[in-house]
Amino acid sequence: MNESSLRKATPGRLIAITVTLLILLSPFLWLLQMSFKTNDQILQFPPPLIFTPTLENYIALWHSAFSASFVNSLLSASLSTALALLFGVPAAYALSRWSGRGKHGLSFAILVTRMAPPIAFTIPFFLFYRWIGLLDTITGLVLVYTSFNLPLVIWMMQPFFDTIPLSLEEAALVDGARTRTVFTKIVLPMVTPGIAATAILCFLYAWNDFFFALILTRTNARTAPVAVVNFMNYEGWEWGKIAAGGSLVMAPVLIFSLAVRRYLVSGLTAGAVKG
Amino acid sequence: MKTASRVSSINRRTLLKASAAGAALAAFPAPLIAQTKPFAGVTLHGASFQHRFFTLLQKYIPEFEEKTGMKVDLQLSSLPVYNQQANLELSSGGSAYDFVNVTFTLATRWIAAGLLANLDEFTGDANLTPAEWNPKDFVDGAQVTYRDPKGGTYGFAWEGGAMLMGLSRMDLMEKKGLKIPKTFDELQHVCAEINGTDGVSGLVSWFLHNWNLPPYIQGFGGNVFRNPPGDPMPALNTPEAIQGVEFYAKLLKSAPTGVLTYTEDQARQAMLTGRANIFIHSSAWVTPILLSEESKVKETSRVVRSPAGPVHDYPASNSQGIGIPKNAKNKKAAWEFIKWALSKEISMRLVKEHGHSSICRRSIITSDDYRKLNTVNGQDLGALYLEVLEMPGKGDNYMAYRTTKEFPIVGDILNKAFEQVATGQLPAKDAMNAAQDQAIAALRRAGTKL
Repeated sequence: MNESSLRKATPGRLIAITVTLLILLSPFLWLLQMSFKTNDQILQFPPPLIFTPTLENYIALWHSAFSASFVNSLLSASLSTALALLFGVPAAYALSRWSGRGKHGLSFAILVTRMAPPIAFTIPFFLFYRWIGLLDTITGLVLVYTSFNLPLVIWMMQPFFDTIPLSLEEAALVDGARTRTVFTKIVLPMVTPGIAATAILCFLYAWNDFFFALILTRTNARTAPVAVVNFMNYEGWEWGKIAAGGSLVMAPVLIFSLAVRRYLVSGLTAGAVKG
Repeated sequence: MKTASRVSSINRRTLLKASAAGAALAAFPAPLIAQTKPFAGVTLHGASFQHRFFTLLQKYIPEFEEKTGMKVDLQLSSLPVYNQQANLELSSGGSAYDFVNVTFTLATRWIAAGLLANLDEFTGDANLTPAEWNPKDFVDGAQVTYRDPKGGTYGFAWEGGAMLMGLSRMDLMEKKGLKIPKTFDELQHVCAEINGTDGVSGLVSWFLHNWNLPPYIQGFGGNVFRNPPGDPMPALNTPEAIQGVEFYAKLLKSAPTGVLTYTEDQARQAMLTGRANIFIHSSAWVTPILLSEESKVKETSRVVRSPAGPVHDYPASNSQGIGIPKNAKNKKAAWEFIKWALSKEISMRLVKEHGHSSICRRSIITSDDYRKLNTVNGQDLGALYLEVLEMPGKGDNYMAYRTTKEFPIVGDILNKAFEQVATGQLPAKDAMNAAQDQAIAALRRAGTKL
């Protein structure tokens, strides 16, 4: 089978792609359409497929504490991602270039912190944060997310550095470049897809976190996922706001992923061909 | 010259003011002056789950702050988020909150674990609580949850839920010659007769079966536990419990398709639009068929006592309270807030200005103003509410099963067992026998001595 026959858009393939897309996108589309309905319309059975869309849920969110929570989520996710990359990328490079006896043991030790479930750390974090006054602060959340993302960055980035031939760096050193210049001007540009993919995963972890935010925040640093739950009131669930909040929570991740999708695909599939 | 005289006059006036102030200071010692705003500079931290009561109360809080000088920081979250955070804060000995909502289902656990301050110390002190505040004015059935076995009080109720029966289509019932059901058998008959008429379902319910089902189990003489709270041995496979499960499962055959997963909103909506005839739930969910502007069945609706079982007449009820954590930093200030928030004055204002009817003060519920506002189509909703709310306080506290620390585990198992019966997967006897074994095993794993 040649390449052109593989690329041919046969009706069977188009149907398969359409059905797959519908299955994949249906939860998102359902959530999105709910966000433009009133609570009454949402609770109607059978649900009306044709309706007059309303922005009242989004307007209500804008005027509620959700907007501050959204900013808190953005801050904690982006700062923790930046910090994890700042420390994790050089650490992964160092680990890649180190050929000492304890290398594998150290690599494994780094990953161990990701093996335990978050609940194992949450209560100690809660008590420690209360003691040092970091409860309900963005700083507290950023530190937690960074500590959990750091091993991920090191483990994801190390194989990327491993694939860069050492001869390239040696050549640059022979030409008079300093070690720092070799790292920033030669090595880093070559692992950009890896950094993008890792950044997305770090951001997703922090952005989607519910558990740490639930335990470690109250009102000042409350994040968007916890704020969405706050629409499940005692007197009833505010379905429209939950749907609007859910749609908004998904937006930054979608935008971020689309912006770096070129790197993301090559970054996440790098291992498939480089073994 | 004009300017000079004005300067001179201001100086003279300033001097006079200063003299007057000096005289006042001499006449009244400094502590007395400070007492006009006794809590000036205090920031009071409180937390609860989001509820209309607190949303309304927030409007009045500036008045309280002005009166006392303290600042109130009230943190409101959804019920699951609040319960999680408050449980962790209190059980780890935290002092972040000065007052908290004592959630009905957690009350017994918190009180038994010594996490709350005994409020009798405040109510018993005439300097802290004036006689007219009258703690005995709170309906006993609502307060019973907030007492320890010795009778000590650890919370005062701000909201009560009393199980009532709403009927949305009395017109249909009258056409068929059906009367309001007063017993389980009559309920079954009416639901079956109405179901399908004019596209109306016989009744509607919602997914929290461990709230809806126990009144039927108790109605037949059973219970969720053998003798709660002292004896938490599950009693899920007694003949009475099996009978209750069978009855409720049969009742739901007259409900809309998918009722097992209905939320409270969906059930209320079905009632408000007249798509279902009967809804048995807390008054706050049932009375909207008469009180809500959205209701399309105001003219044909009735709200009455839920039907009695052959052995017991035990409609469910609950209440939410406010308490003070044992480690709170500002206990006296917190008590000042509780006293104010649950005062007769604020309670009456909530009723008059916002129609908030779930008050737990007897003097308010029985007042003329309350009665006028809550009598619709000749029905005194307040009298019904009060009657049901106070029932667990009279003799047998039949709601004790709900507040034991074992209930969350057993309640989940009961939910699953009931779903197996209602969907026809298992006969009630088999499902409840299995549930009993699972409940005992789960409680033992959790460290409960049975």
